[in-house]
Amino acid sequence: MKKGADPKISSMVPSQESTLPAAPTFVRFWHRIKALQVKKREQIIGLCTIAPALFLILALTLYPVAYSIWLSLLEKHSFFPQERFVGLENYIYLWHDPEFWNSLWLGVVYSVWTIIFQIILGVAAALILNETFVGRGLVRAIVLFPYMIPTIVAVILWKWLLNDTYGIVNYWLLACGIVTAPVSWLGPDHIMFSVILMSIWQFFPFVLLSILARLQTIPPELYEAAKVDGASAVRRFLHVTLPQIRGILFVVILLRSIWMFTKFDTVWLMGEGAGAGRFIRTLPVYAYMRTLTYYQAGLGAALAVIMFAILVVCTVIYFRMFREEADIG
Amino acid sequence: MKRLKWRLNSNRSLIYIGAGLLALQASFPFLWMVSTSFKPPAEVFAQPPAFIPQEPTWDNFRRLFTTTNFLIYFKNSLVVSGAAVLLTMIVSAAGAYSLTRYQYMGREKIAGLILCTYMFAPIMIVIPFFILAKKLGIENTHFALVLAFTSFCLPFTLWLMRAFFATIPLELEEAALVDGAGRVRALVYIVLPLALPGIIATSIFTFILAWNDYIFTRILITSDELKTLPVGVQDLFHSALIDWGLIMAAGMMITIPALLFFLSVQRYLIRGWGAGGVKG
Repeated sequence: MKKGADPKISSMVPSQESTLPAAPTFVRFWHRIKALQVKKREQIIGLCTIAPALFLILALTLYPVAYSIWLSLLEKHSFFPQERFVGLENYIYLWHDPEFWNSLWLGVVYSVWTIIFQIILGVAAALILNETFVGRGLVRAIVLFPYMIPTIVAVILWKWLLNDTYGIVNYWLLACGIVTAPVSWLGPDHIMFSVILMSIWQFFPFVLLSILARLQTIPPELYEAAKVDGASAVRRFLHVTLPQIRGILFVVILLRSIWMFTKFDTVWLMGEGAGAGRFIRTLPVYAYMRTLTYYQAGLGAALAVIMFAILVVCTVIYFRMFREEADIG
Repeated sequence: MKRLKWRLNSNRSLIYIGAGLLALQASFPFLWMVSTSFKPPAEVFAQPPAFIPQEPTWDNFRRLFTTTNFLIYFKNSLVVSGAAVLLTMIVSAAGAYSLTRYQYMGREKIAGLILCTYMFAPIMIVIPFFILAKKLGIENTHFALVLAFTSFCLPFTLWLMRAFFATIPLELEEAALVDGAGRVRALVYIVLPLALPGIIATSIFTFILAWNDYIFTRILITSDELKTLPVGVQDLFHSALIDWGLIMAAGMMITIPALLFFLSVQRYLIRGWGAGGVKG
């Protein structure tokens, strides 16, 4: 900071103390008081401008989450105001509830498979779209479409493609002789596969875009050096690209895991009306059903709390396991 | 030398094949939707299915607009998403300005807290939100929906706007202040014009998130005339025989606005992505 800078300005610059010109003591004192006044005013304005955002986040996100912990200790009908404190009864009930364990298992199956394939496909696609070729901008835009459309559209698209009698997928499979009878993609046996396939299609563009953004910042000199050294494409990926994208990969896997484990709309809409929804009743769907099909808001909240607790524990373990990556990311 | 050239070419063609497959897998379902939406009922169920409709018709769209509440849902979606964008943008622009321009106690803590709430999934918020909305007597109103969308988008938009604001050099504002301009004038004439692309991009992301939402609307809205598009269209499924032509026409009508907005911000996407990406 230059000497004699206006205190009003200097207080704007983060983490820099304003230094004042050498002057007689009383002038210095006067300057300091003025600077303090300005600083205080700036602080107040700063707090006032963040306040609405902070208030909305506290009132609309943190308070509901805290309230759901309280709600999980109550026996409460979703629509009527009566409520009764039951302590941990909801949790004890769920512990003995086979449907809960089943939904937990289905949720794990769904999220593990979708995450693995999203990451593999996303990274591979990002590597392709990072090369230069004619029409790259267009392909980059098209590939992101599935991520940007409403889930309901993705679901009706796939329900139509996979329709057992009139769907084009079955038509092709039959025409090519891969199957001999139409496959009931939305039936009990295949619905998990279908919803996983469709979720990968819908969500891998997120991985693609995150990785692509990072790939573009890798200096080309690194690759040239590796090429001069005679490294093959695979080795270049392992020793140049991978260390560079490790940080962002850490973040992407974390975010995708959280979002897939708590994914509600895709799974619910795929299962609804198909008659086989029971076979993809993951934890979020089960929490929703407890609240709005059985009207047991307390149990629904308990399920949401359990989901949250599982996420917190897994996140902590994840950060411990990949401490190094966490620092980069 | 020749071998090297051949290898280079084969690498290139592999990239083109890969890019072609990527474009095909993303676009085919949409093209199939467009094709189905222009087919008359008999052709929709024809075997073998034809990619180009033999007798293209607007009939599905006509029925969509006249026999269903589609236009009401469309209007509701526009109103609610627009209001959510407005509220989110005002609050998050002020917040982001505060986080990048002022110094106060706990500033970084607040930023960290915001990032944490970014990880809360809608399903964890929506159940208590619904109960609370009932207690306040605002369930089944667009107001509750706007609040819900705002709570859902705010962490993301604040984070994104903070990244955009951080790229605007402080020196420009300082220069304006030295020249005698007040804080407000510096904001209006220097910061806002520079932040405009970021503000537009962020508001369009917010719009897309609100436009696409299913879960909050499903839970908070019960009257048919207040429903937004995703929920309204899902209810088209509840007839005995699914009218695929009609549903595909509806799907197309929801997709078009989302896609137009998406294409208009596409070039900001990669830049904004470093800041956190779109939730979903």
